[in-house]
Amino acid sequence: MTPDGIGAGDVGTSDGYREFVAELTRWTLEQVAAVAPSPRSVAAAESLAEPNRWSALGGDQRALWGRCRGSGAEPYDTVVDHVEVAWRCTCPSRKRPCKHALALLLLWVRGGVPDSAPPESVESWIDRRDRTAAGMASGSDAGPGESPPPPGAIGDEPPTDRDESPPTDRDDLDRSRDERVARMMEGLVALDRWLEDRMRTGLADPELARYATWDQLAARLVDARAGSLANRVRRLAGLVGASPDWHAEVLAELGLLHLIAEAGRRLPDLPGQLADAVATASGWQVRHADVLGGVPDTDEWFVAGRSDTREDRIEVRRLWLRGLQSGRWAMLLSFAAYQQSLDDSLTVGTVVHADLHRYPGGSLRALAGRRYADPLLFTTPVAVTIAEACDEIGRAVAAEPWLERYPSTVAATPSVLDRRWVITDSTGSLPLQVDDRVLGTLLASYAGIAASGQMLVDMTIEWTPWGVRLLTIHLPDRTLDLGPRADSSFVGVS
Amino acid sequence: MSSDLEIYWRELVTAALLGTDRRQPPVASPGPVADLIDDAVRPDHASRMLAAVGSVAAARRAAFVAGPPAGQLQVPEPDERPSCSAAAVATWRTIVAEWPVLEDEWVLTVIQRGMRVPPDALVEQLQRHRRDATRRARVAIAGGPLAGWLTDHLPALGPTTRATASAEDVANLPELPVSPELTYLLTADAHTFVRRLAHGFDNGEFRAPHRAVLVNLFARCRPEVLANAASSFGSANVGLALALADLAGLRHRMLSELGVAI
Repeated sequence: MTPDGIGAGDVGTSDGYREFVAELTRWTLEQVAAVAPSPRSVAAAESLAEPNRWSALGGDQRALWGRCRGSGAEPYDTVVDHVEVAWRCTCPSRKRPCKHALALLLLWVRGGVPDSAPPESVESWIDRRDRTAAGMASGSDAGPGESPPPPGAIGDEPPTDRDESPPTDRDDLDRSRDERVARMMEGLVALDRWLEDRMRTGLADPELARYATWDQLAARLVDARAGSLANRVRRLAGLVGASPDWHAEVLAELGLLHLIAEAGRRLPDLPGQLADAVATASGWQVRHADVLGGVPDTDEWFVAGRSDTREDRIEVRRLWLRGLQSGRWAMLLSFAAYQQSLDDSLTVGTVVHADLHRYPGGSLRALAGRRYADPLLFTTPVAVTIAEACDEIGRAVAAEPWLERYPSTVAATPSVLDRRWVITDSTGSLPLQVDDRVLGTLLASYAGIAASGQMLVDMTIEWTPWGVRLLTIHLPDRTLDLGPRADSSFVGVS
Repeated sequence: MSSDLEIYWRELVTAALLGTDRRQPPVASPGPVADLIDDAVRPDHASRMLAAVGSVAAARRAAFVAGPPAGQLQVPEPDERPSCSAAAVATWRTIVAEWPVLEDEWVLTVIQRGMRVPPDALVEQLQRHRRDATRRARVAIAGGPLAGWLTDHLPALGPTTRATASAEDVANLPELPVSPELTYLLTADAHTFVRRLAHGFDNGEFRAPHRAVLVNLFARCRPEVLANAASSFGSANVGLALALADLAGLRHRMLSELGVAI
C-alpha cells in the first residue's frame, strides 16, 4: 500500500461529483482491519474476498450484500451497513463481524462489488435499523453484539477519506461536516471529563490497570471521529505498570491529552495554522484529494530515515525526508494490516526530486506527489551539532507539545556517560535508546570512520518522548538503514 | 530544565498518585508556569490539577536540552585490510537465509583473500556465532582488531561458551558427508560432474532423500564446475535439480565477488 491514496478527482461535473461522493464514502483497507475482531479474522476473510466465492453480490451508498459459499450446505447471506457500521450474516460464527462480512467489505474496498438496487430483505433490514435508531434517544444504532465502534482509528493519523454519510449535494456536505464537528466536540468534552475523573481518583486507582477503562474511552473517541486521540489513549494504556516510572509517564500523557482536548474545544479561536495542527492531532480527517490539491513543496528530498512501529492491529512506516534546498523535514506514512505490504518505493540514503503535499497546519506529514526524476544515491547529508538538534527538536515540540516523533541528522560519536550510551560532540550529548545490534553497528562504523581520520559519524536520529533512537548511519560509501523494522511475519512481502 | 520545574513536577506526580479527592494540587512557584495555570479559571481541584499537569508536561517536553559532552572512546588498532564489497555482504545475507551450508566457505574465503568484514555484517556475525567456538574464532579473524574491541564494549556480542577451537578446525572447511559412489565428483571436471548428475535426475536415481548429500556435494565440489551446473540444471523440471542449480549459482557468485579466480 503506498502512502498516496485517492487521486484528486474532478468534482465540477456530475460524474466527477458522483465519483467524489463514492470516494468519500468508500472505506479503506485500514478501516476494514480496524473493525475486525483480530488480524486472523482479516486473514481468514482474505481467502473469501474473491468474486467467484459470491453470488447475488451488490452494493449501494448504504449497504453491501451477497451470498457466500462456505462450509455449510447453504450459502451464507451476508449484509453490511457500511454507513452506520453494522452487519448481519446467517453463518454460525459468534465473531462480529464474521469473516464473511469482512470479506464483503474487502471486496468492496477493492472495487469488486457491483452497484445495484438492494433486494427486499436488505431494504427491510436497513429500514428496521433506521426506525430503531430514530426511536432511541441515545442515538445508539444497533443491538448488543451487532455493531462495534466504527472504524477510523488506525495509525496516529489514519489514512482515511470516509465521511459520516453519503451526502448528495453541497448542503448535505456542509450539514455532514457540521454534524461531525459537533460530534468531535462532544468527544473532546467527554475526554476532558474523563481526565478530570482520573485526577480526582488518582493514578493508584485500580481501575487504571484494567484495559477496559481505557478501551471504553478509546471507543467513545472513535465514535466521536477522534481517531488519533483514541490511538493515543490505547498506547497510553500500554504504559500503565510497564516501567518503575510509569506514573510520571502516564501523568505527562494525560496532561498532553488535556491540552489537545482544551485546544480542540477552542478551535475557532486559534490561529489558522495552530488550529489545523490541533485538528489533525485530534483526528480530524483530511481527504487525500484535498491534500494533493494544495500547493506542492518541491525539492530534492533526501530520504534520511525509516522507522516502523506496530500500532494496535496495523504496522505503520514513517519515512523521514529532508529538503536539500529548504532544509525542512517531511514525513511520509504508510500502513499495512496483516499480510499487507508497506511502501518501499523510496530507499533510505537516496535523494529524489519530487513534489510533496503537506497536510494542513504546516504538518510534517505529507503525501508524495509528482516525481521529476528517478531517485539517486546520496551520501553526504547536512548534519547539525547535538546542541542544534536539541534546539530544532525543542522548537518543534514547543509549537506542538503533543508531537511524538521528530527527526534530526547529526554528526556525533558514540560514547559512554554515567554508564549510559550516548552520542556526543563538543556541544553536548544525548542518551540513546537502541538495541545491541544497532549500538554495535554504530560502534563499528565509528571505529571505521576514526581509522580514516574522521571523528564524527553522520547519523539520523528520531526523538521520541521515551528516548532518542538511531535510524540511519550515513557512511561515506553507503547508508546503513537501522530503524526498527516491521515484523516480517505480520506484513506481507511487497 | 529548571530545577524548580522538576521539583514542581515531582509534587504533581505525588499528588496525582493519591488523587485530588485526598490531596490538594500543589501550588507552582511564581513564574511563567504559575501564570499560565492561574490564567485558566478553574472551579475545582481536579481541573486545576489537570491544567497544571498539561502545562508542566508541555514545558518539560519542550525543554529538550543536551547533556554535557562525553569523552571520546579509544578506537581499535587500525586494520589495513580492504573491506569486502557491499555485494559480498548482501550475498552473505542470502547465504544465511537460504543456503547456510556456504557460510563457512564465505568467511574462510574472506580471510584467505586478505579482506575484512564491514561493520554491520561483523556485528551480525558476532551475534550469530556466540555459541560456536570455531565459527566465532573465524569471525574474530575476519573482523580483526575491531571484533575484540566491539566485544569489550558490548558484552552482549561476546561468546556464550568457554569452549576453544583448534587452529586446524578454524583454518579448514568442515568435511561434509558425500555418499561413496559420488565422492569422485568432488574433484571431477565440469563435463563429468554435470553428465553424471543429469543421468541421475533423468533416471529417477536422485530423489528427496538424496538432497542432503547432493547439497554437500555442491558445497564442496570444484568451483570450476559451478557455472556449468547452474546453467545445466537451471531449466530442469525436477525440483531438486532446480534447487541445486540455485545453490551452484549462489556459490559461484560468492566466490566471484570475493575475488576467487574460477
